[in-house]
Amino acid sequence: MDDSRRKLYEGKAKIVWEAGPGEAGPGAEAARTYIVEYKDDATAFDGKKRGRIGGKGRVNNLVSALLFDLLEREGVPTHFVRTLGDREMLVRRVKIIPVEVVVRNVAAGSLAKRLGLEEGAPLARTVLEHYYKSDELGDPLINRYHLRTLDLAADPEIDRMESLALRINDILGGALEECGLRLIDFKLEFGRTDTGEVILADEISPDTCRFWDTETNEKLDKDRFRRDLGDVEEAYEEVLRRVTAGAEKWRVRRRGARASGGERPAHARGEWPAHARVFVTLKSTVLDPQGAAVENALRTLGYDEVKSVRVGKFITLELTHLSPERVDEMCRRLLANPVIEDYRFEVVPATAPPAGSPPPGAPTGTGGKGQ
Amino acid sequence: MTPAPRRVRFGVVVFPGSNCDADAHHAIGNVMGQKVEYVWHGRTDLEGFDCIVLPGGFSYGDYLRTGAIARFSPVMNEVARFVERGGLVLGICNGFQILLEAGMLPGAMLRNESLQFRCLYVHLRVENTDTPFTRACRPGQILRIPIAHAEGNYTARPEVVEDLERTGRVVFRYVNEAGEATPEANPNGSVANIAGIVNAAGNVLGLMPHPERCTEELLGSADGRYIFESIVAHVLAEGGPRGPTAGSPGGGVVG
Ligand SMILES: Nc1ncnc2c1ncn2[C@@H]1O[C@H](COP(=O)(O)OP(=O)(O)OP(=O)(O)O)[C@@H](O)[C@H]1O
Ligand SMILES: [Mg+2]
Repeated sequence: MDDSRRKLYEGKAKIVWEAGPGEAGPGAEAARTYIVEYKDDATAFDGKKRGRIGGKGRVNNLVSALLFDLLEREGVPTHFVRTLGDREMLVRRVKIIPVEVVVRNVAAGSLAKRLGLEEGAPLARTVLEHYYKSDELGDPLINRYHLRTLDLAADPEIDRMESLALRINDILGGALEECGLRLIDFKLEFGRTDTGEVILADEISPDTCRFWDTETNEKLDKDRFRRDLGDVEEAYEEVLRRVTAGAEKWRVRRRGARASGGERPAHARGEWPAHARVFVTLKSTVLDPQGAAVENALRTLGYDEVKSVRVGKFITLELTHLSPERVDEMCRRLLANPVIEDYRFEVVPATAPPAGSPPPGAPTGTGGKGQ
Repeated sequence: MTPAPRRVRFGVVVFPGSNCDADAHHAIGNVMGQKVEYVWHGRTDLEGFDCIVLPGGFSYGDYLRTGAIARFSPVMNEVARFVERGGLVLGICNGFQILLEAGMLPGAMLRNESLQFRCLYVHLRVENTDTPFTRACRPGQILRIPIAHAEGNYTARPEVVEDLERTGRVVFRYVNEAGEATPEANPNGSVANIAGIVNAAGNVLGLMPHPERCTEELLGSADGRYIFESIVAHVLAEGGPRGPTAGSPGGGVVG
């Protein structure tokens, strides 16, 4: 470490430094970056449990670097610039949005407890949660309304964080699968750059993710420390080994993809194209003259099994990114008239998943209904 | 000694695709002899007007639902403020539908029960003469006014209809020549034969028939004049809307 560095913040797992002279490249770069140092210190349960995990700082720094690099290549903007040795990385300065975005694929941890699900039960739909980053309050779970009330982020920023988080889930889920790691859940932090762009920050490591071995479901993350399962250091080193090996394959494939021509796919441009399908029908309490006419016509044609017909509208939307909340709003404000119509919609990711990853899964949209 | 009578100032909103704005302009300006101006749908200032007319015809191709897109045009925000200041708004046919979509009047429009575009003269019974739009009518008077629409089947929740009836806000009803509100006299399936309603404050009227198309005997009926004459009489008696800034009342005559 350099004496001329200025320590900006020391957290439980990392130290944020303002770079000393010459440390972070030319002056202009230094002014736009911080150095993040990863520590071996480990805490759990809001700091109630403390300890050390030998080599954790190095593992978390290197795993984070490899995963940030992968995400960047896939078009997700991150704060990662480059590593500075084994325990430090240079990152872009951001103002952290004080919200932890948690993405879950399998029931575990607080979700299993809160909803009474068995640990390890796959979730039918990916679950996305927000937690308010506040040590005094113990990082409470909050929803979009709370986010707005506390003015933690603007609506478009929330949409952006959510769509990036889901994209990250798809990219990491597929890539880690290849390393024999199941991505159970993970926590992300986002920040605003000086131009107001929302980018991924903080870390992606066994401290902030749950990784289970794909074959044995053995836990290879901080739960080993939380629950005193032993072999903590070994698990962290194993994750680094597997991710390092995987990164080699990911890089080769990207080079191949680029060599085989074609421009960067849309999802690699930091967007998550999606299709929304909106169905609008008259409320059941409203007489539907068109439906009645069609019903008569079908009966006349001999289709006696027809009991009733309602005629509605079907609208497809192509979206630059996925936000069920906004589609719902579009339905309420314009696409349907809640006085006479009900609506329902599906939102489906539009792009093919990155090679090797599982399909994006069931439609991620939610249904809406007029009041 | 008597100054020239004040002329009432009407604004006729023009949406892309409107086709009845010229009829309304003609009826108000040439036939009724009042001041009238076109108001472009992008306009955001309605100062100085006494009455805004949302004319019939199609707007934005009536895509999605009639009036659904028009109601988001900039002028509609201003119309809402105009209404708050007490200004009169007359929504005719498509204009009525825009007022419904904008929530300025309750209920919604469905396709005609017949599923057909109906274009014919109908008889309307004036149910309430105590509105700015009907004060020149006799109670129970029957007016002959044409309709031309495919989506004029007025509907609302039963409690809303009940409230409209109880508070005298059903202003016009489709009736037969004898003045009876029969199912046969109902051209589109509207609940309770409702052809026109006012808002609670009484300054916003929506109706499906086209009074602007029948202000001259030459055209088969001049009954539409009653509505415009009512508006003129009301403004001359009561004054125009409150100005957006204090001290600039629209009308100079105190009733
Ligand atoms: N690019 C960045 N620019 C500025 N701050 C960052 C950046 N990336 C991460 N941070 C912040 O730096 C701190 C890293 O420290 P650490 O993760 O150890 O904190 P912590 O003990 O978890 O506490 P908390 O995260 O609640 O502040 C975090 O507050 C994190 O939000
Ligand atoms: Mg942290």
